[in-house]
Amino acid sequence: MYMYLPIALTSVNYLVVMGLGLAVGLLSGLFGVGGGFLMTPLLMMVGIPPTIAAATDANQIVAASASGTISHWRLGNVDFKMGLYLLIGGFAGGAGGVQVIKLLRATGGADFLIKMTYVVMLGGVGSFMFVESLNAMHKTKKAKASTAPPKAAPKVKNGGFFAALPMQTYFEKSGVTHSALVPLVLGTFVGVLAAIMGVGGGFLMVPVMIYMLRMPMHVVVGTSLFQILFTCIEVTYLQAYSNHTVDFILAIILLVGSVFGAQIGTALGKKLHGDQLKILLSIIVLAVTVKIVLELVMEPSILLSYAGGH
Amino acid sequence: MKRAIMNSIRFFMAMALALFGLATVSVPAAQALTCSVTPDNIPITFTYHGAQLAITGQSASTDDLIVTITSEPVDTALKNYEKVGGLVWMKKGSLEFKDAPRVYLLDSTADLSRILSAAELNQNLLGFDALRGHIRIEDSKGNPADGKWFDEYLKFKKHENVYDMREGTIVRQHGENGNTYKVDVAWPYQAPPGIYTVNVLAVRNGKVVERASANIEVKSTGLVAALSKMAFDQAGLYGIMAVIFALLAGLGVGAIFKKGGGSH
Repeated sequence: MYMYLPIALTSVNYLVVMGLGLAVGLLSGLFGVGGGFLMTPLLMMVGIPPTIAAATDANQIVAASASGTISHWRLGNVDFKMGLYLLIGGFAGGAGGVQVIKLLRATGGADFLIKMTYVVMLGGVGSFMFVESLNAMHKTKKAKASTAPPKAAPKVKNGGFFAALPMQTYFEKSGVTHSALVPLVLGTFVGVLAAIMGVGGGFLMVPVMIYMLRMPMHVVVGTSLFQILFTCIEVTYLQAYSNHTVDFILAIILLVGSVFGAQIGTALGKKLHGDQLKILLSIIVLAVTVKIVLELVMEPSILLSYAGGH
Repeated sequence: MKRAIMNSIRFFMAMALALFGLATVSVPAAQALTCSVTPDNIPITFTYHGAQLAITGQSASTDDLIVTITSEPVDTALKNYEKVGGLVWMKKGSLEFKDAPRVYLLDSTADLSRILSAAELNQNLLGFDALRGHIRIEDSKGNPADGKWFDEYLKFKKHENVYDMREGTIVRQHGENGNTYKVDVAWPYQAPPGIYTVNVLAVRNGKVVERASANIEVKSTGLVAALSKMAFDQAGLYGIMAVIFALLAGLGVGAIFKKGGGSH
């Protein structure tokens, strides 16, 4: 039942770790998030040092997102063109964000700012999604109850400032037209925030794709996983090369659970409507926000810790 | 006459020395303190989850005993939580705990305070109070930190199972092999690989009168050692291997689900 981890230098119950992988992989397949914001604290709870928990989590997300991407690709849910633009922006933003964090750390007090940004972003995104999807579900109910003939679905098109931008491109899978600059800039923005907060950014990228790029929910999930796959490949390699914090054995135990979880999540996602998926994700994001807030305001039982973690 | 007197003096001195020698050799020979650890070599394999150690030896029946297992002292840096803005708890600074052993496990035949005086305990670095005086705590600027951080350090190490004190746990036996002692110690898997020293001290009338020691080697072996070495010596290759394996696992499971005629 126990397995020793050569880099974390600790022994874990592999059934528990596999279970964590399965649960977070399920969320990944269901919502298109990497799940780092859940997995890293969970790994720390089972005794993994924070730096190793964060780096190894990125390694297992490579497996879960590869598994999830291929399933969603088969279902026609991956917009590779949009994913590529977001990815380019994300890489640029991530590199920029690392520099921003260096500057912030040099001025002191950055950690407070980072934590607050994290809480505000999580809380804001979670609340917005919750309210929006609740309203959408009410409207659907009313429309169903009404005897009036259903209105034609509004054509998804961005007007105003977005429409005036150059390089207008049609994204076939998502059925939307945007300037190529829009996903590039939004990808950069999420990349900067993700680097500052030390997370993959899936929980930010998903709402950006839903509400700003107006992509359908199922395509959002597949495309987000595609983008997360490449981000986590980069993070895994850099962490292993620079910090020696990737525990290969821990990653294998996690990914055994997460790749199956991602498949189950994808299958489950097919049975749920976009609004149901959104409301579930918003509840999880809000629950994580509450947990972080409680951790911040309650005195820790031990006032010392290893460096690292979110 | 003078020569005879001198010879007599020499004879008595020789006798006295011989008797003293006998006394000093024969008495401790019967009471000689010994120490042995089983196992003294702990291999770390994938199934490693700590070990059960038996520390045994011979000692004088009236002596109290103290057994410690420690490592070479090291400097350990840890982040410390502080209240920021009067509202939230955050890892704010870092503290360095200097000359602190990675592992400190102590067992004794009775309460330490009853066996030895505080001065003797401090001198021999026995017990957490002695460690408090020994470990220096500095903040990131090198200034001495508040003493409360030692209590937090102790909590942190106890939580990791690498610091522990158990008084009255050494069992004595009087049999054919003379006076023996035994103590079972659960070796924590959280202790990193390295060489650890087991020290046994015999205490009589409030003084340490005898010592014995043995070593324990905790060492990674096989694939655990190979992976650990690769992660540090061939970090680039290790990173590529981790990525490729994860990709293959993800894509492989994707293919299995398709072949299995699942929901896709």
